[in-house]
Amino acid sequence: MFYRKALNNIKISIQDPLYFFQSLTAFLRGFLYIIYYNFFTRNVKIGFPFKAYAPVRIIGPGSVSIGKDCSVYKNVFRGLTIVTSSCDAVVNIGRKCALGGLTIRCSKRVEIGDCVMTATSLIQDSFFVNYDKTMSIPINKPIPEPKEISIGNNVWLSMGSILLRGCNIGSDSVISAGSWCFDATIKDYFLAIGNPVKKALPIEKLQRLKGIS
Amino acid sequence: MRDVIAGIRGRLFILMCKFFRRNIKIKEGLKIYKRLSIGGKGMVSIGSNCIVDGIRGDSIQHVTIDAYSPEAVITIGNNAQLYAARIAAKFQVTIGNNVLIEESGITDTDFHSIDRSRGNPVDENRDKCQINIGNSVSIGARSLITKGVAIGDNAVIAPGSIVTTSVKPGSLVFGNPARTIMQGQSVSE
Repeated sequence: MFYRKALNNIKISIQDPLYFFQSLTAFLRGFLYIIYYNFFTRNVKIGFPFKAYAPVRIIGPGSVSIGKDCSVYKNVFRGLTIVTSSCDAVVNIGRKCALGGLTIRCSKRVEIGDCVMTATSLIQDSFFVNYDKTMSIPINKPIPEPKEISIGNNVWLSMGSILLRGCNIGSDSVISAGSWCFDATIKDYFLAIGNPVKKALPIEKLQRLKGIS
Repeated sequence: MRDVIAGIRGRLFILMCKFFRRNIKIKEGLKIYKRLSIGGKGMVSIGSNCIVDGIRGDSIQHVTIDAYSPEAVITIGNNAQLYAARIAAKFQVTIGNNVLIEESGITDTDFHSIDRSRGNPVDENRDKCQINIGNSVSIGARSLITKGVAIGDNAVIAPGSIVTTSVKPGSLVFGNPARTIMQGQSVSE
């Protein structure tokens, strides 16, 4: 099995040398990111095979962990950025994720499952990023407090989507382009459309209507 | 240390405006953490104790204020906090005190007409297109405010929303086009 995989890789590299070169540089770049973040910064852990086609930026005092076999693709010339604003913030990303153009601004907790695919989307679990600095100004209005976000396995976040505080997304579901979630719970294998998302549609029903089994 | 450098940069900017650019008036206590660029020939006036900064980890990190035409007037009140905000005016934009703006755009023109020639828009005037933003309003990231909008005091605009109609004071606004929700009402069903 392993030999067959290696032979296939060698075949691809002979047919398309540019692809081979790019994947090799991505692997080496990812290895350097692993060395830098695991040994020279606190609270950040990245699993070993990590392919970085685009720059990765992790800032802040909170703890971040990325699973094995993740890869960061170029999406509108943007890579992965994770910003944690407080010491209690926790970001957990599962295995085999394809993270391209994703920005996470975390102040409490963000959980992402395995095999998640992303485009240039925003995950933010607070309403305003610089909310702590505004405490010097007298504010007496009900700004919603930060709340946890959890995303299941095999979810596809497409381009321009925004997930705000309190989102619960089940596994195998799809968030469509340009949609906007706030305090929304989406069940397993559902399609979320709209700005804001009001009703999610079951994908099985859609496929039956279109004649795709 | 960071605050001291920001204060010095703010004082230098105010001095520069006094000598070289007479159309800009800034009161004391400006703090510049990241870049501030002001363009155009119109009048720009900023109140005291304002903060200019960018959101951490973002690719775009500077505040731009543009008064395109010579009759444009942009006024920003005291204690305003501008995080990567983009303000552009052809007629008039007035912003009140204690305002928080995060990475969002405020424009009072469309810049072009929908005609084939793509020339200057014909049916725009100062009364129709001016933007008024009240005191202690907070505007979230990646939102847009279009022409002819008045936002009342204490309003909160959620991140990612596009505001096309005027907003009542003390309300929470979200979505595209933006709509209000009352307290205790849930967004999704």
